[in-house]
Amino acid sequence: MLYQDTVESEVLVHKPWFVASIFALVLALFLTINLTGTVMGEVMRPVIGDPLESGFYGRFAIAFVIAVMFCLNLVLIGFGPLIVQIVVVWLELLVLFIGFFNLFNLSLPFIWDNLPLLISQGVFTTLYVSAISLLFASMIAIVAAIAKLSTNGFAYGIASFYTSFFRGLPLLMQIYLVYLGLPQLGIVIDAVPSGILALSLCIGAYMTEIFRSGIASIDRGQWEASRSMGFGFGLTMRRIVLPQALPVIIPPTGNMFIGMLKDSSLVSVLGVWELTFLARTIGQPTFHHMEMLIAAAIIYWILSVCLEMIQGRIERHYARSKVR
Amino acid sequence: MNWSLKTLTAIASFAFASFSVNLSAHAGEVLNRVLAKKTLTVATSANWHPASFMNDKGQLDGFDIEVAKGVAKYMGVEAQFVTPGWDIITSGKWEGRWDLTMGQMTPTAPRAKLFDFAAVYIYGNTVAVVHKDSKASKPSDLDGKVIGVSAGSSEESYLKQTLELYNAPPVKYEFTPGEVKSYASAGYADDLRLGDGVRIDGLLTEELDAKGMIKAGYPFKIIGGSLVSAPAVIAVLHGDKEFSDKVAAAIKSMREDGTLSKLSIKWYGSDQTVLK
Amino acid sequence: MTASKIHQLKNVPSQREPTDAADMLHLQPTSFQGPSGKKQVTMTSDKIIEATHVSKWYGTFRALTDVNLTVRKGERIVICGPSGSGKSTLIRCFNRLEAHQEGEITVNGIRLHNKMRNVTEVRKNVGMVFQHFNLFPHMTVLMNCMAGPMWIKDVPEAEAKKTALQFLERVRIPEQANKYPVQLSGGQQQRVAIARSLCMEPAVMLFDEPTSALDPEMVSEVLETMTSLARDGMTMVCVTHEMGFARAVADRVIFMDAGRIVEEAAPKDFFTKPQHDRTKLFLGQILQH
Repeated sequence: MLYQDTVESEVLVHKPWFVASIFALVLALFLTINLTGTVMGEVMRPVIGDPLESGFYGRFAIAFVIAVMFCLNLVLIGFGPLIVQIVVVWLELLVLFIGFFNLFNLSLPFIWDNLPLLISQGVFTTLYVSAISLLFASMIAIVAAIAKLSTNGFAYGIASFYTSFFRGLPLLMQIYLVYLGLPQLGIVIDAVPSGILALSLCIGAYMTEIFRSGIASIDRGQWEASRSMGFGFGLTMRRIVLPQALPVIIPPTGNMFIGMLKDSSLVSVLGVWELTFLARTIGQPTFHHMEMLIAAAIIYWILSVCLEMIQGRIERHYARSKVR
Repeated sequence: MNWSLKTLTAIASFAFASFSVNLSAHAGEVLNRVLAKKTLTVATSANWHPASFMNDKGQLDGFDIEVAKGVAKYMGVEAQFVTPGWDIITSGKWEGRWDLTMGQMTPTAPRAKLFDFAAVYIYGNTVAVVHKDSKASKPSDLDGKVIGVSAGSSEESYLKQTLELYNAPPVKYEFTPGEVKSYASAGYADDLRLGDGVRIDGLLTEELDAKGMIKAGYPFKIIGGSLVSAPAVIAVLHGDKEFSDKVAAAIKSMREDGTLSKLSIKWYGSDQTVLK
Repeated sequence: MTASKIHQLKNVPSQREPTDAADMLHLQPTSFQGPSGKKQVTMTSDKIIEATHVSKWYGTFRALTDVNLTVRKGERIVICGPSGSGKSTLIRCFNRLEAHQEGEITVNGIRLHNKMRNVTEVRKNVGMVFQHFNLFPHMTVLMNCMAGPMWIKDVPEAEAKKTALQFLERVRIPEQANKYPVQLSGGQQQRVAIARSLCMEPAVMLFDEPTSALDPEMVSEVLETMTSLARDGMTMVCVTHEMGFARAVADRVIFMDAGRIVEEAAPKDFFTKPQHDRTKLFLGQILQH
């Protein structure tokens, strides 16, 4: 929170100097782009005549109209209540996005035809690779975090070496190391398990730090109370410390998972048919790359939004013991 | 912290136990493995229309795929496909994950150190492709230009002038590019599509591939004739002569009964399986 | 603890009127010397905590010096002293939350040392109430009370719940059972903490400054609970500055300073004729207001 002052400040977008400078900025920006050949030029035909013949006057007129519309939009949004402002800004940005994608002349039927495959094969693989990796990463992280907090030099040595090494290497390199390097030791594992192993080890290293700080955030008094009742280390950890550490652990873990969902695309180099691999592959024979890439991008986005919502729910669930 | 120590020790001992070394993989065993598992595992690409690509049912399809299925059928087993990166395939570190590669590999001297070239199944011509607005009309016009190419391919070796064809006279280089841009995927075609010299001035690829792009509406043209004519082979790792011979026999049989030519006409519109 | 046991506990007649100083003297260790030797033997088996020549260091700082203290069944002992005098450290040694380096501590017949394997046996029987309550914030009040019996003593859930509700009744907050600790006032939280310890049926209760973190108006509700426990015959060792409480319920008051037991006396003597200058100074400061 920024903790707003009770004295309201003037609305920035209603200050003349601010509006004027935004206006100048937008005008200058659109003057550098020649839009006479686009829809904008056609719309302006009554004013500037044949768009392609209008020259600098045409460009200026188009930029001027855009700047006026932009500033008007800003000023109007400034009057709305908070929720309206948020919704309007979201919608406008979405429309701009869709407009941008429209520039590519995408073949929508192609997207619709291939969407089932993209979801049934690609999303499914991406999700299960990420979910299994998260599970393993959490287990690694708990053990490594406890080892890092322990007074056992052997355990601390291994755990700190592990986090240092796997946080210090690019994930792509770890994937190659697991896939190409482990066979040197006689352990040959397939592409999917290799990817899961590499992801688990890498994310586990980051999560070790998350878990460590989560465990460390628990007050000493909790340990003492638990101990004074006769609870051993395992019971204290399982029932007292970790449940309390979870609210601290979950937000960054959720972020990790959302990040991992996208990092999992790196395992496509091993030929795992997950979302990115399929997106790059399906459009190839008919040269519809952009369709598939954009479809995959939107799917990733939707997945992330869903995960954010789930994360929010879990956070609220754990916040209940903190509500007065 | 006894508990964590025990856990760590357990994990460590498990890891060491898994190191029960199994390094000698290939001594005449590939064929036995294929026959025992009743599957021939083929490493190929999913990104190379029309040799091997994903069809609209989400399955691999194409010339290479059908040839591979023919080889498997000859051995009386099922063909199964994996799609690792070409760089991983050509690294030679297969570790028994797949038995042969079907990627129209050009036999070069360095690759001969890693692979047995079991059988030639198609012949290919490398050509130079430029944007249709380009002023270049022959390969030598590309001297000093930026040329895109697939990473790890024989075309890349040609551009870098390090191509040594296996059992063939030295290659003659028709031009020297200013910069070679290597692409992990087929992105060079999209880069050239942006316009002449926007990102690259030209690209080097397989003639059939280039014709496919032009047919798909890419604003390209092929300049000059074939830069290199070379056979493309099925590669297997050294060490299992029996398996290698079996693959050769399979191709020979497909060649003799006309299957190979038919497949070439089906996918490429002409018979590319004999040296012209 | 079963209902019948609570009943028993409640019906144990208060061994003596706590305010009856003369009677209280009877319990002092020093009073067992001499003619009543036979009685001393029977009382010896009643020793719940016995600390002899206990010393403790934090690094080079000596926190406890040659402390001797015996707590018998049914005894109520108040430990006071200036801050940093080692009184909290001492009672935290009694359930091995802290380690001592010299001397011997025996609790319920089990010697405490750093290689012991049965520390749980000791802690099961020694309840502790902390200055900052230390309730488990992620559990309801009821679950806080049920956790110990269920997880340590394998008491079935239904029985644990019954016991927990009885003890919450005992500390007069049964209606808060399903709330979370943060929803309670400090005084209520401390009473829950007392109930939580009682649910383990401890042989002795240790109180580590149970009222020092409370707002003034909440001190009395906690002291009342402790007083009523004392009247029911619970063995208690309390570190506190509540001299009124000490005067009312203590069998012995122990004054500590700089890690040593300086003075040990019945409340009547302790407050009316303290022997040592440091005790006098301390009492002067604390009773001024």
